[in-house]
Parts: sequence; structure tokens; C-alpha cells
Amino acid sequence: MYVVTILELLLIYALLTLSLNLVVGLAGQVNLGHAAFFGIGAYAGGTLLKAGAPFPVALAAGAAAATALGLVLGAVSLRLRGDYLAIATIGFNFAVVAALLYTPYFGGAYGLSGIPRGLAPSTYLLALLATFGLAVFIHERVRNSESGYAFVALRDSEVAAEALGLNVNRFKLVAFALSTALAGVAGVFYAAYIGTLRPEDFGFPLSVTLMAMLVVGGMGGLWGPILGAFLLGGFAQAFAFVHNYQAVLYGLLLALVMRYRPQGILGRVS
Amino acid sequence: MDLFTLTALLGDGLAVGSIYALTALGLTLVYGLLRVLHVAHAGVYAVGAYAGWWAFQKTGSFGLALGTGAVAGALLGLFLEAWFYRPLLSRPPHVALIGSIGLFLAVGDLLRILFGPYQQSLPALAPAPVVGMLTAPQLVVVGATAVLLLGVYFVVEQTRLGLGWRAMAQDALTAAALGVDLPLMSRLAFLAASLLAGLAGVLVGAYYNQVYPTMGAVLAYKGLAIVVLGGLGNLWGTVAAALLLGLLESLAVAYLGHRFPPEGVAFVALILVLLFRPQGLFSRARR
Amino acid sequence: MTVLEGRGLTQRFGGLVAVHQVDIQVRQGEVLGLFGPNGAGKTTLFNLLAGAIPPSEGQVYLEGREVTHLPAYRRAQLGLARTFQIVQPFRSLTALENVLVALARDSFRRLLPLGRLATPERQAKALALLEQVGIADFAHRNVSQVPLGVLKRLEVARALALEPKVLLLDEPLAGLTFKEAEEVLGVVTALRGRIAVVLVEHHVHLALPVCDRALVLDRGTVIAQGGPDAVRSDPRVIQVYLGEEDAPA
Repeated sequence: MYVVTILELLLIYALLTLSLNLVVGLAGQVNLGHAAFFGIGAYAGGTLLKAGAPFPVALAAGAAAATALGLVLGAVSLRLRGDYLAIATIGFNFAVVAALLYTPYFGGAYGLSGIPRGLAPSTYLLALLATFGLAVFIHERVRNSESGYAFVALRDSEVAAEALGLNVNRFKLVAFALSTALAGVAGVFYAAYIGTLRPEDFGFPLSVTLMAMLVVGGMGGLWGPILGAFLLGGFAQAFAFVHNYQAVLYGLLLALVMRYRPQGILGRVS
Repeated sequence: MDLFTLTALLGDGLAVGSIYALTALGLTLVYGLLRVLHVAHAGVYAVGAYAGWWAFQKTGSFGLALGTGAVAGALLGLFLEAWFYRPLLSRPPHVALIGSIGLFLAVGDLLRILFGPYQQSLPALAPAPVVGMLTAPQLVVVGATAVLLLGVYFVVEQTRLGLGWRAMAQDALTAAALGVDLPLMSRLAFLAASLLAGLAGVLVGAYYNQVYPTMGAVLAYKGLAIVVLGGLGNLWGTVAAALLLGLLESLAVAYLGHRFPPEGVAFVALILVLLFRPQGLFSRARR
Repeated sequence: MTVLEGRGLTQRFGGLVAVHQVDIQVRQGEVLGLFGPNGAGKTTLFNLLAGAIPPSEGQVYLEGREVTHLPAYRRAQLGLARTFQIVQPFRSLTALENVLVALARDSFRRLLPLGRLATPERQAKALALLEQVGIADFAHRNVSQVPLGVLKRLEVARALALEPKVLLLDEPLAGLTFKEAEEVLGVVTALRGRIAVVLVEHHVHLALPVCDRALVLDRGTVIAQGGPDAVRSDPRVIQVYLGEEDAPA
């Protein structure tokens, strides 16, 4: 049973890294605030689950809420470049967490608690697996299609993509929308999984973790993000008993992988 | 506003701002030359603080503490430059950024493992009032910062090293073609930045009489905000932004109290700047 | 028939006037060269026509339709293709894939096109285009491992994939060896009479022979235009190039 619980968490992480990969790996945009969309989805879905809404409705709400804010960040990304965008996404993450902290409706600093699972345990697992499968399908379908190439083109040379008739701004927004919708869905599953949400759980440190999972696993393809999620996510669990050394080992892992294999474990050298 | 309140606000604001200035200066110097956000800089700062604390414990001398902190910071900074940042220059920027964050996490946790999670005290500066509400620690911090900033000004504006830095920041390729030794510039920049960070760490430790493993965390985030406020790579803009932020935070604590955390000031300022003037408050360059 | 036209084009950067009241017409099938010494404004004029920057004054017409305020991607969709002085290949892709992306332009009008990029029809067209510019051997090579001369011709192939009415070439010979430059010029010559080409070039003596007409700019205004021989022997042209290494003669 414990294994199932861990697996469920890892699947949720994998949904997150796949979603992040769409924007960062494929489309080449910076996003150091992805945890915010995870959080928005979790809070939106969690609130509905508490109100007794059926699970699919909560999922839809989580996805919609996350996408709406995802488009806001996407719009911001159109105006900022590189390091400024990186810092803006960090700022966005902080803004969302602050908004959640100071909104009494969402429980403020105490967070949102008492979220029911909304599904029987076995149904939950099946739903999660099915969603994961669907996410993989969508991810691969997009990646190997004309849209996937459009994202790669705008990543490699925005100005050339424009000169070939690609509406670069619109494609960036689409990437953000897809990415955040999936993150929102993951958030709802997480809300049901954990039962209690606190704003600081969705802060910048989690965004860094997600980015790290993606980068360590290898950006761009399918298995890199999944490996990264399972490896670093599982890391935290496996090293729970060496909890005392967790952060230093984790930090060292990040630093060493970036130093000696920056393309990630499954990434290709470009 | 009476003299006491004014001096209290100014004193604390300038002292805090000075610390920000010393650390953010290094951050923006490194960014200007290498276009990399050196998040681990906050780790250098914490290491400097602990080194200074250790030296003070052993010798009781604040001067030695400052020196030890500076040297420890410098050594760590030079190591990071050589082992981590320079080899990754040809890689996409997210590589150095993620790795730097990892280094920062590792260093912070290593300090916790070595020295324990509790605060250590560094009672080198007695918080005695000197003028109005200005205290001795405040004067020491602001004074030390003023001296150091003068030194930085001299090096940057009046020496060949500073010229090399400015050339490299503006156009590295041309600078190299004109004979500027880029790796040397980089090493010296990290040396200077890390010296300042180490010193800042000791000064903060003495000012608040606290040294603890996660003391770099807040600075890591605020440092980013400050360098954007001042203009990424703009040395004096960053100093100005740092001092400004220190003063604003002081005002926020005084007038907004518990309703608004002082950390929020940096963050609100960052949002506003990114929305309306992303090149920074003091930059003439366009984005 | 005029394919591309600029009327009263003026571009100011702060206090500097880079281009001043320039009128330019490009006729179907002709190769028009834009020349001038450094700082003459030819690159700025090029960018105004391409839609990379909006003009301070003046209008741009593509096949009679005003496109002055249309962004670059819209102009590309309407039949204006351009290459870049500093090549901009899609480095993660092969040469063939680079051209395939250009060929998918109709699909890219949709919000989220999920079709296959490398359809048999597109592959055939892409290979033909690569052959047309003489780099078919590099079709399946990743472009990050390919010489500059090949990349320059890939830029042209990609641009041609748009089936443009007018092709704008931004210093296509920059940085090339003599042999590579000859190959690129061969491609341009082959296009003569088929589509309109505007080329901005610094190496006047190399590019002028392939042009049907030439425009010479100096300090933002047109100082001479006409056939290659007329321009080459124009005293004003000779004067502005005096002392320049790339003089026409």
C-alpha cells in the first residue's frame, strides 16, 4: 500500500515534468514558477471537492483556473526576454503564493484542509494512471506533430520562425496554455491525494525542484521528464530515512549533474 | 517625525541597505561579465558569516573575524568560478542557474550539518546608541560599506582592471580581441564579489548577533530583486537600488507593521519594475 | 508589374535619420540590388520592407496591398520571404526538416496543428528545393554540423519554400569563401525572371553583375539607380565608394 502511495505521488510529479517540458523543453521558454499553476489547480479543485463536486468537475475547474493564469504569464513572456523572464516567473510564483496566503477564503496561512479524495482509492489510482497515459499521449502527439516542430522552431530561432509565417506569439501562448492546463490537472489529483493544502507548498522551492527534475532527466523528449520525476521524486522518499542529509545530497546532485552532464541523463547534446 | 524616529529609520534602513549593497554588488558584477545569475553567492555570504563567527569565537577579535570571513568567502567564490561557472559558459543559461541553486542548497545544508541548525551569536558589536537612535553597529556597518564602496569605485573607474571589466561587460568578444584576458577578469570579479559577500556576512552576523545556516535564503531572493531594480549588470544602479530597498523596508516596518511583511517590499518593487521598466530604475539602456 | 513598393519611407532612430523619404519599386521577376557604403541605410531600408521594424513615415505595399503595419509573419504569409545576414537555421533540426517547417506554413495558421510534418508531398518538395540550391547532399545532416555556405543556401531554400512573390536576401555573401559566394550567386541568377529578388550586399563588385537594376544609397537617400553599367559608371556612386575596398569598379 505504501508503494502505491509513493507511485501515485511520482505519477503526479511526472505529470508536472511533462507539462513543464512542453513550455521549457520544447518551446524553449523559461518558467521558474511552474509550482504556482500546480497550486492554483490544487486549490481550485480542492475547493470544489470539499463542496462535494464530482471529481471530473473538480478536474475541469483546476485545469481552467490554471490555464487562465497560465495565459497571463504567457502574455508576460511575450514582453520579456531571457533572464528578465526568469525573474518574472519567480516573481509570479511568489505573487500566487502570497495571494493564497492572504485570501481567507482559501484558508490563508492555515491552508485548505479536509479535502476528500472524491473517489474510492482504487478508482483514484486508475483515474491517475489513465490521466497519466492521456498526458503521455497528448505530449507525444504534440511533440511529433507540426505543432511540436513549430515549438522547436521558435525555440531555436524566433526571428526565423516569424519570417516563415509562424505566429510566434500565438504559439507561445498555446504552449503555456497546454502546459498549465496539465499542471492544473496534476494539482487537483494532488489535492485529493494529500487532503490538506498550504500555500508555501507551492512556492519557488517546488518550482526549482520541478525544473531540476526536468533538467536532470533530460529536456525535450518523453522519457527524460518522466525519469527526472521518478528519480528526484523517488529520491526524496528513498532518502527519507537519511532525512538529515536530504537537502545537501539533493543540492549536490543538481550541481554535479549540471556540471558534468548538463543535457541531463536522457538528454541529447545539441 | 522627530529626530529619534528619523534616525532610527535612517540608521536601520541604511545599515540593512548597506548589507544588501555589498552582496548585490557582487551579484551584478558577476552577471555583467558572465551573464549568469550567481544564486550560490548567498551561500558564499553565509560561509563568510560562519567563518567570521568561528574566528571571533577563537580570538575575540572583530577585525580578525572580518578578515577570516572575507578570505573564506573569496576562496569559495574562486573555487566556484573555476570549477563550476567557467566550464559552463558555453552551455545554455538554465544549466548554470539550476546548478547554482543546487550549490546554494547544498552549502546551506552543509552549514547546518556542520554547525547545527540553531543560531550562533556573534556579539562583536554592542548595540549602544551613538547619535539619536543611531547605534554603533549601524555606524560600523554603514561606515565599513562606505569605505568598501569607495574602494570598489576606485577599482572600477580608475584602474585597468576596472576598465577590463567594463569592456568585458559591454562586449566580451571585442574586449578579448583587444587583449583583455577574459578568464582573469572573471576570476578577479568573483574574487571581489566573494570578498564583499564574506565581509557582508560577518557584518550581518555581528549586526543582528545571529549566524544561522539559512541566513542566505532571504538574501538570495532579495538579491535577484535588487539587481533587477538596479538594472542587471549596472553596478551603481544596484547599489542605489539596494540602499533604496533598505530604506523602504525600514519605512514599511514602521508604518505598515504587521499588516505587510517587509519582505514583500522587495517583491512588490520587483513586480512593478518588471511590468513597467524591466531594464531597471537606473538603467539608461533599453531592455 | 510592381510586386513590392515602398513610398516615402523614412526611419528615424532618436535624432538620426537612417532612411529619408525613399521610394522604391520592385518589379516582378527582376533582381534588384541595394548598395551603398557603411551606414548608408540599406540595411534599415531592407528591414522596413521586410517588416522587421515599423517606419517612422511612409508605406510599404505588397502586390498593391498595404502591409506597412503588418508584422513579419503576416508578410511572410502574404508572399514576402527574407533571409538573414547572420544565418538563423533551426539548429536542432536537419536541413530537410528546416525546409519542411517552411512548407507547413498553411498548417501553422491553425491554433494547434497536429498533422504530420514530413508528409510525402512535403518531403518531395523539400528535397527539390534543397536540390535547387545545390545542398541536397546535406538533407539529413543536422545543421549544426554544416558549413556556412550550405547554411546560407539553406536560408534561401527555406525562403523559397514559402512560394514567395518577392524574396529579400540580407547580405547573402557575407562571410563566404569565393567558391561559396559563386554558388549562392548561381542560385540568385537562376531565380531571375521567375520571382522578384531584392538583395542587400556589401560586396558590390560580386553582386552587381547578377542584378537587373541597382539602387545606391548614401546617408539615407537614393543617389543613383538604373542598370548595372549605368550605376557602375555613375560619378556620384564612384565618389561615395572612393576609398572603400568594395567599390563597384
